[in-house]
Parts: sequence; structure tokens; C-alpha cells
Amino acid sequence: MLRYIVQRFFQSLLTLFVVVTVVFILMRFMPIEGFFGPNYDKLDPEQQQAILRSMGLLDPLHIQLKNFYLQLLRGDLGTSTIFRPNVPVWEIIAPKIPYSLFLGWASLTLSITIGFTLGVFMARYKSTFLDRLGTLYIVIINAVPSAVYYLFLQLYGKDLLNLPMLFDPDNPKSWILPIISMALGGIAGNAMWMRRYMVDELNKDYIRLARAKGMRNSAIMFKHVMRNAMIPMVHGIPTSILLVMVGSLYIESLYSIPGMGGLLIQAIQRQDTPLVQALVLIFSAFSIFGLFMGDLLMAALDPRIKLGAKEGSR
Amino acid sequence: MAKTVEELRAEYATKEKILEVKDLVIKFSLRGDVLTAIREASLDLYKGESLCIVGESGSGKSVLTKSFMGMLDANGWVESGSILYEGQDLAKYKTEREWLRIRGKEIAMVFQDPMTALNPLRTVGRQIQEAVELHQGLRGRPAKEAVYELLEQVGIDDPVRRYKQYPFEFSGGMRQRVVIAIALACKPKILICDEPTTALDVSIQAQILELLTQMQKAYNLTLIYITHDLGVVAHVADRVAVMYAGEIVEVGLAEEIFYNPKHPYTINLLSSLPQLGVKGQDLFAIRGTPPSLFKEIQGDAFAPRNPMALKIDFLHRPPYFEVSPTHKAKTWLLDPRAPKVELPEAIRLLQSKWGDDVVADA
Ligand SMILES: Nc1ncnc2c1ncn2[C@@H]1O[C@H](COP(=O)(O)OP(=O)(O)OP(=O)(O)O)[C@@H](O)[C@H]1O
Ligand SMILES: [Mg+2]
Repeated sequence: MLRYIVQRFFQSLLTLFVVVTVVFILMRFMPIEGFFGPNYDKLDPEQQQAILRSMGLLDPLHIQLKNFYLQLLRGDLGTSTIFRPNVPVWEIIAPKIPYSLFLGWASLTLSITIGFTLGVFMARYKSTFLDRLGTLYIVIINAVPSAVYYLFLQLYGKDLLNLPMLFDPDNPKSWILPIISMALGGIAGNAMWMRRYMVDELNKDYIRLARAKGMRNSAIMFKHVMRNAMIPMVHGIPTSILLVMVGSLYIESLYSIPGMGGLLIQAIQRQDTPLVQALVLIFSAFSIFGLFMGDLLMAALDPRIKLGAKEGSR
Repeated sequence: MAKTVEELRAEYATKEKILEVKDLVIKFSLRGDVLTAIREASLDLYKGESLCIVGESGSGKSVLTKSFMGMLDANGWVESGSILYEGQDLAKYKTEREWLRIRGKEIAMVFQDPMTALNPLRTVGRQIQEAVELHQGLRGRPAKEAVYELLEQVGIDDPVRRYKQYPFEFSGGMRQRVVIAIALACKPKILICDEPTTALDVSIQAQILELLTQMQKAYNLTLIYITHDLGVVAHVADRVAVMYAGEIVEVGLAEEIFYNPKHPYTINLLSSLPQLGVKGQDLFAIRGTPPSLFKEIQGDAFAPRNPMALKIDFLHRPPYFEVSPTHKAKTWLLDPRAPKVELPEAIRLLQSKWGDDVVADA
């Protein structure tokens, strides 16, 4: 078990390292304007070169890369160029994190609890009206572009339920729509997989034995099927986290939420390369952390991992 | 101690029936079509005996026995007939509630493949304990003790440690022992073993067989044993039922079936045994394929594959003809009007050994 965790931990570190490198390389492909301040237009080519040189951007790539790593190790994410010139990027991002974290957490919780429950019921009442209704929901969510139902929700949430259209930290009612919007996709995905995994389990031989020994269907569902289906589900949690983060990019702009997602959109629009770079890194770190947590949960739930079983051992 | 066939017959005359299947018809719906898997099968089961059901793949052995526990797949149902158990007609049972009175408590089952029969994510001990809790009314500590005892009984050493292990830490044979422990934990009266050794190594097969016979004695079980292996039949069976295309075509004491088979299918089945092969002759094999279960079958279902079929076999379904009080077969060959037919040499050899001097191992 410990070996597995240590192994996964180093794998995560390695992934993070690769991601950092890729982000760095991608950022070098961004338009060069992103590295200058607001007065880019007024600078002549020589001044531009001087600025680039002072930022170390004219050094050979491997030197730049090394500096980039060292800078990150020091916890320095760089300074903003356009968004708020010369302000350390971290200072811009830090106050936004709580909003994103809170909303992300809330919608993740929602998508897991409701999604899992819906999936369980769909499997339990397979081929009944409830199952069909759930399937319809899943199909709609997957077929309709998310931007469309986000808007739909925002408009009708206001018209029909009189919920605020914009986010206001002091008014909890205004949190409802963005949280639900962000959760809808996750609910659909989780319900779909939960149903699928449970139906898979239901067809397995050991269910027959459990029935043959006189267990009630409800007990079988609860003690055997659901628990076993949880393992692959837990594996999918990192994906849910990713989905929520992707959703947050658009949702935060839509509801004017002062979070990281909205900030990233603005940073991209205004070509503030260091800010974009830092945000992408933070998002990546969150995803990698999520994946790692998924692995840990798996290990806790699956005895075959816990006990370090070799596949197919008898 | 060895008993003569006469003694065995006399014994059966006084035995009590525990389960009576009468004219059972079971159908399945499959992609809009209906197939009849069990066609008016009748079978009596006597308290304390071991009954082997033999017959080729698809003849309905599993379906028949599953219907005793309400474990037919969702697309199957009992169309007609009855399954009498302690004054109740199980064929009429519909709800889970009704079946919970039977499953485990009265009838338990051991399945073919021990590799998949256990939940891979629950400890072996817990899975046995579930049955203990359901059927012995024990909880907590005493339930656990009962599990330890069961593990020891089925030949698993170090039960305290084994309790906490998962199925993947057990070999196939050991898993089958666990499955048997689960069945025993239910304290059933009837134990159905559906090819319990087919998936195991030959050396392990014998051990499991041995264990089952031991447990039958210890728990006073009535055993239904499904198998393809006639060697196993010879080893465990008091009586044998031969199935063909959803019917019990012949049933009798093991000795009666082995030495004096009457139904052409049984005769063919025995002739195809390598052990019975006559030196210098090709090994016998049953030609053709079983009939489609989707169509109504005219006459004797085996007739199209039967080289000695009579004309009437294609027209009318034969009733049971009694050979002895314990032996009956569904074949027109037993009708007094039937002509004499030439039996395969191997069977003639067997029959020549048949007589009251034939003794059974008890
Ligand atoms: N759920 C089902 N749906 C449709 N047909 C079924 C179903 N279950 C069984 N059958 C059919 O019923 C017939 C009898 O099957 P059964 O499993 O009882 O055979 P068997 O004698 O146990 O064979 P084997 O020796 O291979 O285990 C087969 O033709 C099979 O295809
Ligand atoms: Mg079978």
C-alpha cells in the first residue's frame, strides 16, 4: 500500500514537471506582445529587444527553461504585464482562489452526490420510467452545448425563480445558479457511469451466489453492487474535477464571479502572458492533485491494490 | 457395505419425497421469440439421496434446478406444471418475499466457476458471515465464530487469518470450498451442485467431491448433482436422471442406468464412454445436434439422431414406461408392441453383467 502511494506520488510529481515544461513551451508560441506592458505600440524595435533581453527571453531556450524552473521553485510566478502591470501575478490570483475553490467544491459535491444517487436509482430501477427519464437528461446534457444550457438556466432562473443573474458574495441566493450550472454536466456523467458500472456488476456471477444464499435484492444492491461500482467511479472523480474547472471558465465570466476562471479568460483576452502562464499552471496542479487523490481513494477501497496483488494471482 | 439392487429398491420404497416436480414447462423469451427450455419434465427427489442429473449441454439441467430457487433469468418463466416442496407449490411463487423463504434456508446452490462466484471486493469471511447472519440468526462475535468453524469444516486451515482474506488470495479449489461453506452456512435441506468441479484441476476435483459427500453426511443433505462426467456420477449417485432437450427421458438407480439403460439417448450416451469402448472398434459418438427449442417438437425429441428410431418415435411423444419401481424411461422401445432392436455391442456387454448379482457400493 505504502509503496503504491509513494509510487503514485512520484508519478504525480513527474506529471507536474512535464506539464510545467509543456506550458512553458506553449507560452513561447504566444504572440510576443504578451510580454510587454500597455505601451507596446509606443516602443521602437530596439526598446522592445532591450525589454525582452532584460526578461531573459532572448537567452537560449534551455537556459530560459532552467531559469523558469528555478523561479517556480522559489515560488515566484512572475509579474503581470498588462492586466495590472508589474504587480506580482500571485497577488492578483490569490484573492480569487477562495471564490473558485468554494464554487468548484460546491458543484463538485453536488455532481457527485446527486450524480451517484441518480445512477444508483437508474440501475436499481433499470428499464423503468425513472431510468428512461435519467437517460433523457443525460442525453440532453451531452447533446446540447453547455454554453446554451448555461444561458438558458441563467435566464429562466431569473424569470421563473427570481434568482439573481449575477454573483454577489454577500447574497447566497446568487450562488445557486452558477453552482447548479457547473454541476449539471458532472451529474450527467456520474449518473451515466454509475448506472453502467452497477449494471455491469449486476450481471456478474457473484450476484447469483448472493441471491442463492437468500440475500434480499436491496441488500445485494447496497452491500455488493454499489460498493463494487464505487471503485471505478472513484477513478472518475479527477475527471469530474476537470469538468468543473472547465465549466468554471465560462460560468465565472457569465455570472461575473471574481474567480480564477474569469480571470484566465480576461488574461487571455488581454494577452498577459505571465498571468496566463501562472493560471494554467495552477489549474494543472489542481488536476494532478485530483488525479493523485483519486488514486489514493482507489487504494483505500480496492483490496487488490491495498494488498499489492498481482493481476491474475490465484 | 454393498447392497444389492433389490435392497436399494426396497429402501427407496420407504423413502420420503422431499421435492416433486410435475410436468414442468419453462420458457424464455429471446428477441421476440419464445423458446421452451424445459418440456414437461417430471422428477422426484427423495430425502437424503444423491441424485445426479446428466445430459448434454443445453439440455436444461441448470434451468431446471434454478427454477427450484426462483433464480431463472429475468426473461424466463414457469409456463405450467408444479414444483411441490413441503406442501407448497414453488412454481406459483412470484415475489422475492416468497422466494426468500426458500433460498438458502431450504435449498442452496454451489456453482460451476468458483473464480467468479465470490465478490472480489469483500473478504471471504464476510461473505460467509452474510449467510450465517441470514440463516442462523447470529450476529457479531458468535457469527464470526460460526464462520471460523465452517471454514475449518470445509478444510480451510488457519480460519482466523483466512477470514480476513479476499477471494484473490485463494486458489480455485479453496474458493470452491468457500462457496460450499456459504451453502452450508445457510443450513439448507437440499444442496444443488451445478457442475461444481468442472472448472477445477482433476486432482482438486476429487477433493471437492470428497468434501461434498462428507458434508452431505454431516448435514443430512439431499444432493442434486449436475455433471457431464459419468465417472463422477458413478462415484456419487444413488440415482441418475438423464435429460434430453428439456425432458427427463430416463431416471433410475445408478446401477439401473449404467447396466440396463433403456432410452436410446442413455444408450448412446453410455456407448460414447471411452471406458466402455470395445477394443478394435471406433469410439462411438452421438451424431447430429439437439433439436431447436424454438420449435414444437413432434414425437420423441431424440428420434432424428437415433439410428434405431421407430416410426412412432417421429409421430407421438412416448410416455414413461416403468422398468422397475425405481426405473422408468420415456421411450416407445419399452412398449410391449415394440420390435426388438439391436443394441450396440458395448451396451450388450454391460447388460450381460446386469442381474441381481450386481451390487452397489454404499
Ligand atoms: N436466459 C435465457 N434466455 C434464453 N434461453 C436460455 C436462457 N437460459 C437458458 N436458456 C436456454 O435453455 C436451454 C437449457 O440451458 P441450460 O443452461 O439449462 O443447459 P445445461 O443443461 O445446464 O447446459 P450446460 O451443460 O452447458 O450447463 C439452453 O438451450 C439455453 O440456451
Ligand atoms: Mg448448466
